[in-house]
Amino acid sequence: MNASSPPRPQNLHAPTDKEEVDERRMELMVSYLLLAGVVLSIASLLLGLVLDWVHHGTLRLVYLIKGVNYFQFFVHDIAAFAGPHVWASRTFVNLGIALLMFTPFFRVVASVVFFALEERNIKYTFFTFFVAAVLSYSLFLR
Amino acid sequence: MSLVHSPVLMFLVSIIAGFIGAMSGMGGGIVLIPALTLVGIPIKHAIAISIVSVIATSSGAASAYVRDGVTNLKIGMFLEMFTIVGAIVGAAVTIASGDAFLFIAFGLVLLFSWGTLFVRKHSDDHYDRPSDRITEWLEHHGSYHDYAAGKTITYRGRRAWLGGPCMFGAGFIAGLLGIGAGALKVLILDLAMGLPPKVSTTTSNLIIGVTALAGTSVYIAAGYVDPGLAAPVILGVVPGALIGTRLLRRLSNLAIRNFFLVVLFLLGIEMLLRGFGLFGG
Repeated sequence: MNASSPPRPQNLHAPTDKEEVDERRMELMVSYLLLAGVVLSIASLLLGLVLDWVHHGTLRLVYLIKGVNYFQFFVHDIAAFAGPHVWASRTFVNLGIALLMFTPFFRVVASVVFFALEERNIKYTFFTFFVAAVLSYSLFLR
Repeated sequence: MSLVHSPVLMFLVSIIAGFIGAMSGMGGGIVLIPALTLVGIPIKHAIAISIVSVIATSSGAASAYVRDGVTNLKIGMFLEMFTIVGAIVGAAVTIASGDAFLFIAFGLVLLFSWGTLFVRKHSDDHYDRPSDRITEWLEHHGSYHDYAAGKTITYRGRRAWLGGPCMFGAGFIAGLLGIGAGALKVLILDLAMGLPPKVSTTTSNLIIGVTALAGTSVYIAAGYVDPGLAAPVILGVVPGALIGTRLLRRLSNLAIRNFFLVVLFLLGIEMLLRGFGLFGG
């Protein structure tokens, strides 16, 4: 047994070859994308509920998303920021949901690009492309 | 059907559900859906709201696991091909189903997942054995540093050809019931694909987010997602799960965890009874 345990390495994977360096870069990309998406989404949802409370003195925000596909929903919501109802609570709640859904989707799309251009791994470019394609199809459902 | 519910109530229910889900190791959705139906949300709406919140809890946790270098991204991304198709089919089945079927299916899956918590997974010091050709071709191998054991563990996956199709089933359950179905995914990664427990749990977590998105898209298209209800649920489940996970790590006494396991078992029975029309509405 070693009496003095060595300090934790800062970089968990000391990169030794190209594959490991690629892997580590991909891990960091995925990690930060997911974190950023969730944090932005939660901030937006929170702001939406606070605005609802400020506007109405109570929290009663009930409506259904219906008859639009995800992309229309997202674009429509972004467009609302240019309209007169920028500070409507719905705008931010919708944005929060849209960002949340966009987070794993964007992670997959970024993975396709990474496998195709950085790691040049044909198998995994195809696999992640398949996932991105099926998700895109499902997000176009209405 | 009244969907007018106090967001404050939804928030409180969700924070507790996230907490119990994390403490018991079963995930937020499996507690959230019975809880939401108990406060009067119709089960299909509860499933739709839950699956949106699963994206948040999964992505948040996955971010930390991936950064620690334990999650195997290639295994995860390979298996996602199967889970997302399963989730879309599962969500479509839910939309076409009656409520009684969903209550019964939920009760059965809850009790089954509950049972898997007691099946202690195979513990193996030889994760680096030669594998089959398909799994090798799929590059299902990796290594991570285990701080508890103080060593780097190198492993090779096995039987990817079996794990893939099984994951279609796990995705189907996730989409059908609006849960992460982490217990099933971990079981497949562990038993079928022979991965170390830490890699199984963290990789399962990564897959859950994308799978939940596939299910969510179907529920949104069908008009079951109410953002005004989903917002307080997400804002509750995420901190609930965070607190639960932190507390679980520090907890030396397992009495509290066991208490929550009993609660979960009762929830499973309650869902079954409601499915058979013997309890509540």
